[in-house]
Amino acid sequence: MNNQTNVKLRLSNSELWGGLIGLALGGFVIWSGMKLKLGTINDPGSGYVLFYTGILMCVFAGAIIVSALTDGAPTLASRWENVRWSKPLLLIACLVAFSVALEPLGFLLSSIPLMLLLLRLIDPVRWTMAIPIAVLAPTGMWWVLKRLLLIQLPSGLFGIG
Amino acid sequence: MDTLVNVAHGFGVALLPINLLYCFIGVFIGTLVGVLPGIGPISAMSLLLPVTLSGTPESGIIMMAGIYYGSMYGGSTTSILVNIPGEAASVVTCIDGHQMAKQGRAGPALGISAFGSFIAGTFALIALMLVAPRLASVAIAFGPAEYFSLMVLGLVVLTFLTQGSMPKALLMACIGVVLGLIGLDSITAQPRLTFGRMELIDGIGLVPVVMGLFGVAEVLLNTEQAIKRDIINTRITHLLPTKEDWKASAGPVGRGTILGFFLGILPGGGAVVASFASYALEKRLSKTPERFGHGAIEGVAGPESANNAAAGGAFIPLMTLGIPPNVVMALLLGAFVIHGLQPGPLLITQNPGLFWGIVASMYIGNVMLLVLNLPMIGMWVQLLKLPYNILFPLIILFTILGVYCSSNNVFDVYVMIAFGIIGYFMRKLGYEPAPLVLAFVLGPMMENNLRKSLILSQGDLWTFVQRPISAVCLTFALVLLIAPLLPSLRKKRELVALDEGA
Repeated sequence: MNNQTNVKLRLSNSELWGGLIGLALGGFVIWSGMKLKLGTINDPGSGYVLFYTGILMCVFAGAIIVSALTDGAPTLASRWENVRWSKPLLLIACLVAFSVALEPLGFLLSSIPLMLLLLRLIDPVRWTMAIPIAVLAPTGMWWVLKRLLLIQLPSGLFGIG
Repeated sequence: MDTLVNVAHGFGVALLPINLLYCFIGVFIGTLVGVLPGIGPISAMSLLLPVTLSGTPESGIIMMAGIYYGSMYGGSTTSILVNIPGEAASVVTCIDGHQMAKQGRAGPALGISAFGSFIAGTFALIALMLVAPRLASVAIAFGPAEYFSLMVLGLVVLTFLTQGSMPKALLMACIGVVLGLIGLDSITAQPRLTFGRMELIDGIGLVPVVMGLFGVAEVLLNTEQAIKRDIINTRITHLLPTKEDWKASAGPVGRGTILGFFLGILPGGGAVVASFASYALEKRLSKTPERFGHGAIEGVAGPESANNAAAGGAFIPLMTLGIPPNVVMALLLGAFVIHGLQPGPLLITQNPGLFWGIVASMYIGNVMLLVLNLPMIGMWVQLLKLPYNILFPLIILFTILGVYCSSNNVFDVYVMIAFGIIGYFMRKLGYEPAPLVLAFVLGPMMENNLRKSLILSQGDLWTFVQRPISAVCLTFALVLLIAPLLPSLRKKRELVALDEGA
């Protein structure tokens, strides 16, 4: 690892960010545990385990931060070096859009476009193949679940599916 | 004599046509996911967890178990022919297995892998039959302190064996505990971390968490790189190993079987650790260690036997103590719970048909796997040619449907997508999801046992040290926690560290 990808006291230090997120989560868990009441050691309350788990989280996050600052760590950008970072990003965007559309549009109207996008965006499949797969796979699954297994899938505002 | 009667009873259950069908479906899907890189037994089992609801508990659990040990068989096919491990336990098989295939010895490599797996699987089952009932009778005496300490040990072993830094793995385990505690407190019924959402009152489901962290995140990671496959195109012949092959493999198969079985029993251990340990052992014992890495059959026979024996051994802590030693067993625990069953010391006496039926089905499943993996090897090779740009969108569709069907709740689909995205970033930053998932399952049990033991001992923390089993577990856990601080032990840990992700 060269000097540009292995950094210590820099904001681009990826391990530092991981540790800081862990520390923030630990702090939140401690606060939640205290809010839920700790109880006593004879009779631990609902927040007892949460509180102590939060403390442990802060300790481990602290160890990660110390190690990131003393030993250095790869930069955030280097974690995505030499990979097709746009592909997972597109896939995440598709999944987020799907989760937004699932309830209002229903399973069929949201999953067919999702499949078509995935088939064309990851490593593009020919249109002549992508369209039948995108239509047949969700429709086939919908038919099996709804007709054979009697499982109701979301039908959305239009009542399709 | 009792054991024989019980085994006969078990075969009576396992040989019911419906259970045979579920067993076949399980081992078939197991081989399928083992063969296909990118999907492991964890994804497949979580996908099929809702399906188990439609049948009897025996059928569902027989199928789930079949997926697990079936994937151990299937994983070696991809490792040998494509040099891509089908699942994590077959990583080591790539080293010598693919070299053998390149030298035109794919047949014997696949053959010894299947026979070794069969022998190890059979041994593990016999040992399971003999050990489990005895351990269960001892485990009845376990109190909350012992259970708590055993679970702590299990989590610490897994974090110790996970790739990357130990603080990261421990942080993941803590996050898993916190996630497991979301929902109503089992003692006071007070809602915790629900943020006022009704969907969180019962907590987060295991299926969306696992499908997100292992299924969706795995697809996201795989899309980063175009998967290149170097499939051996020559016709696969001579699947039966020669006399020389058997002579060279007998020792590794025997040692791998015993080593794998005991490593499988250990909490936090499992098939992956067993295969790595067996490879290291064979290399060390060999008179010609330089052959390893260049197509030594011992390098295939040992690890493949070890991972199958470990798969059998891993059932022991789950069935006798109710503690899942790894993520796969945690999913199996989920299947038990779905059917209102609690694995533990009383399972064997209260549900003998279920326990012995599962054990007998595993034997039948092993025979089915031998048939599936040797004469039908050509079919699996063809399957390896399935394009990933079609497979990945289909996996995403199946995970969405699998999660939705497990609860009939759209919220779980959101949870899965969220965990998929979180899982992707976690893996990119070097945080392994396995400790999180195991802690997620063990968290509520750990909390319950900790609070019970503190109430029973009136707040005396010495109760964990005064009870011998508890003290031994905590001592081991402490040693493992301190070990990475010592440079020589840290190096050893890095050598055995594993990637449970696949």
